[in-house]
Amino acid sequence: MLARTAERAYWLGRFLERAENTARLILVRHNAILDLPKEVQPGWDLLLQVLGAEQDFASRPGVANEKNIISYVFGERENPSSIISSLTGARENIRTTREIMPSETWERINSLYLSVARRSNKDLPRSMRHSVLNNIIQSCQQITGMLSGTMNQDAPYQFIRLGRNLERADMSTRIIDAASAGLMGKMDDISPYRNVLWISVLQSLSAYQMYRLNVRSNVKSRDVLQFLFQSSVFPRSVVHCLREIESSMRLLPEHKGALAVVGSVHQKLAATDCGELVGVALHEYIDDLQLELVHVHNAIVGTWFHPVGK
Amino acid sequence: MAQAKIQSPQPYSRARPRSTVDWSGYDPGEFYDEIIGKGGRARPATRGLVEFLRKQTIKHLVSRQQAADLAIQEMGITFTVYSEGQNIDRSWPLDIIPRIIPLQEWQVLERGLVQRLTALNMFIDDIYNKQQILKDKVLPREIIDSSPEFLKECVGAKPRYGVWSHICGSDLVRDSDGTVYVLEDNLRVPSGVSYMLENRAISKRVLPQLFDRSSIQPVADYPSQLFDMLASLSPRAVKHPEIVVMTPGVFNSAYFEHAYLAQRMGVELVEGADLVVGSDDKVYMKTIRGLAQVDVIYRRINDDYLDPEVFRPESALGTPGLFRAWRKGNVALANAPGAGVADDKVIYTFVPAIIKYYLDQDPIIPNVPSYLCVNEKDRKYVLENLATMVVKPANESGGYGMLVGPASTKKERDTFAGLILKNPRNYMAQPALKLSTAPTLCGNTIEPRHLDLRPFILQGKNHYVTPGGLTRVALRKGSLVVNSSQGGGSKDTWIVDTKAQ
Repeated sequence: MLARTAERAYWLGRFLERAENTARLILVRHNAILDLPKEVQPGWDLLLQVLGAEQDFASRPGVANEKNIISYVFGERENPSSIISSLTGARENIRTTREIMPSETWERINSLYLSVARRSNKDLPRSMRHSVLNNIIQSCQQITGMLSGTMNQDAPYQFIRLGRNLERADMSTRIIDAASAGLMGKMDDISPYRNVLWISVLQSLSAYQMYRLNVRSNVKSRDVLQFLFQSSVFPRSVVHCLREIESSMRLLPEHKGALAVVGSVHQKLAATDCGELVGVALHEYIDDLQLELVHVHNAIVGTWFHPVGK
Repeated sequence: MAQAKIQSPQPYSRARPRSTVDWSGYDPGEFYDEIIGKGGRARPATRGLVEFLRKQTIKHLVSRQQAADLAIQEMGITFTVYSEGQNIDRSWPLDIIPRIIPLQEWQVLERGLVQRLTALNMFIDDIYNKQQILKDKVLPREIIDSSPEFLKECVGAKPRYGVWSHICGSDLVRDSDGTVYVLEDNLRVPSGVSYMLENRAISKRVLPQLFDRSSIQPVADYPSQLFDMLASLSPRAVKHPEIVVMTPGVFNSAYFEHAYLAQRMGVELVEGADLVVGSDDKVYMKTIRGLAQVDVIYRRINDDYLDPEVFRPESALGTPGLFRAWRKGNVALANAPGAGVADDKVIYTFVPAIIKYYLDQDPIIPNVPSYLCVNEKDRKYVLENLATMVVKPANESGGYGMLVGPASTKKERDTFAGLILKNPRNYMAQPALKLSTAPTLCGNTIEPRHLDLRPFILQGKNHYVTPGGLTRVALRKGSLVVNSSQGGGSKDTWIVDTKAQ
């Protein structure tokens, strides 16, 4: 497999996952806001925080209200983390690797892109939000399903899987970080709405139902963090993502070095006592973790896409 | 107890749709129509199609056309147009009404195409080696000496089987008396075959009923034929030679096709930067496992850009050393560099003589009568008859820089007269043929539109000709220019066996 093609497959995986996660993020925020009384509602700017886009948004004209933030996160092409930008990235990457991808997958991604592109310069009013965003989430899942159901599970597929899981791990940490910041700022520990907010964090990661099935206790900070960071059964937990990454790497040539980098992140994460992760400690912990995910990314690039000295 | 029957609603009784396609206004005039013969009747091979069309309402046909357009958009079948310095991706234009050629007629054309490519490959091999045809004075030496497509770097090269042009696209047209002519040969990097294949896929999707009515030759095995031909070129005697398609990149107008063919053959699609030539003069590609040797390159990149060490030094699209590796016989290039020497429009006029010289046969498919502006007598005739002729530069493709006499203004003719006088070697002219027509859906009516045909011919160890080819149609009324970059469309092309019907 060509190194250049491998890199594009990897980014295809990342962009698809990013589009899906962003759509889910908007949808969950939308639902949470409808649920909570105004005085404790986390603002829409939380969305910008999660995506690390506060500064960029602030530098543009327009106030930070619901309409503008959603347009920015949904259809703004100049925002590199918007849904339309992610889908453009996914489409470009599959368009330039069409020779190795199942052709139905290209058609699905292309038509998903076209449907979002047609909407991208319009507002996304509350009444439309659910159907539009849900369609994106479902399409992304359909594409992931098509890939896993029709593609040879050799190197090209493993690169898509690497991209998907690294992106997923990164997004999980972002969501936890932003949500816990919201929790700290707006209410104290005994606030009756605290529970509702943790639930919305779980929902952002499609984790609520699985949490209940797996944890079987009330929603508590420590348990939620343990579930989202360390669960070995929940496919969006960070540990699970890392395991997937390791399993993909083992199927690729020359994987020793990269595998060691993931392994050390994995070990550290597994040894963490989530009960101690409160307030500032949680925030710092997540900062470290994100940095380590960047190291994993760099290891992938250095091993397979731009190997030095070969 | 007897089981109750599954209830089903009564079928609606519907009045027969009224506004079915009206053929009374369909008039190809002086032109040969591929579908409708004398007296407005269907030709034997087109009966199934015409009967079907007669039963359809125009509304239904328009809705099928829209379904085709949507499918094309979703399948991402595009081509790129260069316009005002920008690349614009356009959806591929397909008219849903197919063009039909009877099998018996096609078999003759097929033999003619194989004959032509065989002779042209012998000619190229001769020109770069012994030059016997020049010594025998069948072709004036000046024509080769003055050809910009003759690459002196290729002299003495001996590609396998003596074949230089492995993939050829020849353009065929039909005149008003029904004769089919070869208009030109594309021996360098002909494109369009993916659209031929996709046109069939779309037709099957939107008009499946039609396929029951005729016995149509399938086209789908082209990629595997191409693969086998390429594999036959491998310099290494290995079981699975490494074959790649080489593209100039995503901005090329035919990128869609490059990716399509690589995908269908299951081979890597490489760009120049993905390849390196080692100190052993072998070609390698950069893979996730390191370097892997490449045996055959189906290159979709022009000679000029192939290797900056030999041709354009500023080219970033090619791979340094590629030409050297080819000359050493370490890699096969399809098509071979220098093959373009034989699709020069001046050489074209000598093809009947070339066929006679190498094969001692008469051409099965005739050439369009041509006038070389470099000859004084011809030039005089061309200049006097510009209004009825098509003038072409010898080395352009894609329909650029030509004059279509009957559609030109006095000013355009004067400009061309000046150009011809200034550089006569660069121009040739042909009488404007009365290109055949076929019914085409134009808005809400069916009208005759002019078309041509580009079949694809493969030559490696063996020959292969696509059954049919890519039919290109000039969508503007009266226009003879079928190039997609100039507003042309396309049609699915059916070779129909009338005996099997």
